[in-house]
Amino acid sequence: MIALHDVTKSFHSGKANPFTAIRNISLTIAPARLTVLKGPSGSGKTTLLTLIGCMARPTSGRIVLSGNGISGFPGGEEIRELDITSLPERFLAGIRRATFGFIFQHFNLLRGITVLENVMLPAYPTGERHGEIRKRAEELLALFDVARHANSRVDLLSGGETQRVAIARALINRPSVIVADEPTAHLDTDLSREFMEIVGSFKSDGKTVLIASHDPLVCESPRVDTVVEMRDGRILRSGSVP
Amino acid sequence: MTLHPAVLALLVASLLIGGMVLYAGGYGAKILLRWDIGSGSERQLELERRTYLISTLLSVAFALQILSLFLFVFTADRLHGMFSGAMCAAGTLNVNGFGYPVLVLKIVTFLLAGLWLVVNHADTRGYDYPLIKPKYALLLLLGPLVLVEGYLQYRYFAGLHPEVITSCCGSLFGQGQKGIAGDLAALPAGPMEGAFFGGMAATMACGIRFRRTGRGGYLFSIASSATFAVALASMLSFICLYIYELPTHHCPFCILQKEYGYVGYILYVALFGGGVAGMGVGVLMPFRRRGSMARVVPALQRRLTGGTLVLYLLFTLIVAYRILFSPFRLAAG
Amino acid sequence: MNRSVERHRNVLDFALSSLLRRKGKNVSLWVVYTLIVSLIAAIVFYTHALKREAALILQGAPDIVVQKMVAGRHDLVPVGYVEKIAAIRGVRSVRPRLWGYYYDAATGANYTLMASDDPLPGPGAADIGSGVARTLHLTEGDFLPIRATDGTPTLFQVRKVLPYASELASSDLILLSEGDLRALFDFPRGFATDLAVTVGNPAERPTIAAKIAGQFPDSRPILNSEILRTYDSIFDWRGGMMVVMLGVAVLAFVIFAWDKATGLSAEERREIGILKSVGWETGDVLLLKFWEGAAISLAAFLCGTILAYIQVFFLSASLFEPALKGWSVLYPRFKLVPDVDPYQLAVLFFLTVVPYTVATIIPSWRAATVDPDAAMRS
Repeated sequence: MIALHDVTKSFHSGKANPFTAIRNISLTIAPARLTVLKGPSGSGKTTLLTLIGCMARPTSGRIVLSGNGISGFPGGEEIRELDITSLPERFLAGIRRATFGFIFQHFNLLRGITVLENVMLPAYPTGERHGEIRKRAEELLALFDVARHANSRVDLLSGGETQRVAIARALINRPSVIVADEPTAHLDTDLSREFMEIVGSFKSDGKTVLIASHDPLVCESPRVDTVVEMRDGRILRSGSVP
Repeated sequence: MTLHPAVLALLVASLLIGGMVLYAGGYGAKILLRWDIGSGSERQLELERRTYLISTLLSVAFALQILSLFLFVFTADRLHGMFSGAMCAAGTLNVNGFGYPVLVLKIVTFLLAGLWLVVNHADTRGYDYPLIKPKYALLLLLGPLVLVEGYLQYRYFAGLHPEVITSCCGSLFGQGQKGIAGDLAALPAGPMEGAFFGGMAATMACGIRFRRTGRGGYLFSIASSATFAVALASMLSFICLYIYELPTHHCPFCILQKEYGYVGYILYVALFGGGVAGMGVGVLMPFRRRGSMARVVPALQRRLTGGTLVLYLLFTLIVAYRILFSPFRLAAG
Repeated sequence: MNRSVERHRNVLDFALSSLLRRKGKNVSLWVVYTLIVSLIAAIVFYTHALKREAALILQGAPDIVVQKMVAGRHDLVPVGYVEKIAAIRGVRSVRPRLWGYYYDAATGANYTLMASDDPLPGPGAADIGSGVARTLHLTEGDFLPIRATDGTPTLFQVRKVLPYASELASSDLILLSEGDLRALFDFPRGFATDLAVTVGNPAERPTIAAKIAGQFPDSRPILNSEILRTYDSIFDWRGGMMVVMLGVAVLAFVIFAWDKATGLSAEERREIGILKSVGWETGDVLLLKFWEGAAISLAAFLCGTILAYIQVFFLSASLFEPALKGWSVLYPRFKLVPDVDPYQLAVLFFLTVVPYTVATIIPSWRAATVDPDAAMRS
């Protein structure tokens, strides 16, 4: 479970154009559920995602992770609750690698390397053996039915195939939380539905899913458990979908 | 000044090291003043980003400093032909008043730099940067030393004029000579051998105990440091004698030459490496239980202890081999 | 420990593929880097080899050479000194040497004429060095004209051309019999050019030299080691001068490397942003940059040293010869013996790889401290 307590994130304070992306947000992300952050661009969705996903540190407030052990943190197996607000980048990154898998709006795959290498990339710094990473990557590609493209360049894939490669990459480190930022922004209806199905399979695996989107196909999907509406860096409404 | 390429290399290195240390020191002061791990302000984030740069700069600078100690001694050895009366590095260093001070400073900065690298390694593994203040405090000590050493090294090389007659190690390190070098050579070999082997044995015992039980860290560190000093003195007192197979040749630099199989380098690398590792264990002891260090420091100390044990063992084995298998026999007393 | 090794291997793997992905930039960097390394390596190798050759040659030279000085200038030494010097304890032998310089106006070259040790070549015959043979286009059996002090030319028949192997020492040498030499130069009897003293114990040489100077205040004893030291100094100094001049080139290279490291293309920035977003932290990206730098440095260092090795030891370093060997009309032609040791490589490392590495630290750090959420926002 991820809990935010009175979190604020500002940029460029003390300079010419100070700007606060998020103000005093308190929020709890329930485990093994699908939560959607809904709101127009500029509402602070993306910033909130980066804070929850251990990509950035809040300017003020606290973020606490809790659960059955924290993976990617030295000695984390015995810890039930960890305040990650002031963790140095090295440790934050370790937790992020082991706990979160990210799917980006533009997929963000590396162009010069093969599909297989792209999927393996997030696992390189963990010190796992190259052969084992490779095996897992191949299994993931097979799971999403893109195994035949394992050695192709990324540019040659179709939109749907690229999306599935991006999802495979997000899963390489066996994360317990999947974070997706506007995943359906560049997809047609069929592919968007396909995506939501895959999200459903994540839920059945017990993973927590967090999606920022203003696409009705996502927000009004029956699989959604909680919707958090945002505007101007604050939460307007937050409630479970019956 | 002699423009030998090696001299240029050393001067360039000390310029680069000086520059990096100054730059790092400037930011180090900022960090000491403004560091606040609990704050999420942009200034703190920027400082945390900077620590990566400073860590990298200092690691490179100190690695270079360590390498330049060996290059310096090697160069002093190679240049001995330029000075009449000099048969090895001892003569070259004696050409002007800066030679030996530079060597001593280089050794001191070598040890301190090694210690800094150990502390830095431990600090980066802690999730609350627990050692950041001690680390930069150590830098405030080490930085000026490095700069002074660089300046003195420049003065030394600038004052090297090939025609100068200097004394050869024979007269510097001969037994009748006054001064520390002569005194050390005059230390009776028998008791020194006892002290040396005894010190090594004690260090090994303390080290094994510390590794197994985690107790006696300070004791081990003190033992290894004392043994380091004893071993250095022993080099002058009897170890060199066995390598040269001459009862009067006490010079610690001639063993670096080709005719002795460059054994000097192996011995000194082993001794200094083991010495720094042993000191590192001691330096880390006060932080053993502090916050995030409780997970990191004991394991690191075990590795360092292991390093010392292996290197000291290597040193002792080489010495013992020489004593046992050399046709030279030192009379008792 | 194992995890650490695997992490390095994985990152190294990616570093190499990164380098290959940007061939243009990295190949140009590698080429310039290799050039710099090979230039400095050539100087270091050449200086070292020359010093070694000089040392080898001087091994055959006498331990002490005693000259007589008159008003600060070199004069002929009375042969009577020989007995007294031979009587000094520690002196093994004293031999008077007879030699001089001969300027040949036709070619503008200076030759060294010397009275030969063995009884041959005999009157009217000469042994000449290969440099002389080359300059005057002579072989065995040809005739060599030499002008005496009174201007009359005397013909000497070339008995032997001294072997190529002794080129460095004998290139400009013409050996004649003692009688011929004395006649040519009108050498007064009872005098020699200098005395060659052999000393049994090397450690005693300075003492004996001092004794000779004490006994004969008008003499100048020169130690073999002093000559060697002087040559070493000259070669070192010349080599060092060249390195200093190349320092400008190294500086330019460092700036070039800095520029390459700082000027990340948009694609590179994007890549690092993605790496940070998918879980690489700053230390991992710094490691990536380190391995990229190490790979290029290794490749450049290897190629540079091999290039320099070939240039110095097979092609005789035609670029640097004049600066390092000095100016003369008559050059001995010789092939240097390849002799590269780890010390020279260490010096080379300090002069090339270290400045490159230091120059790329800050740009690498700048690249590595991209925020992890950069990919989210792009």
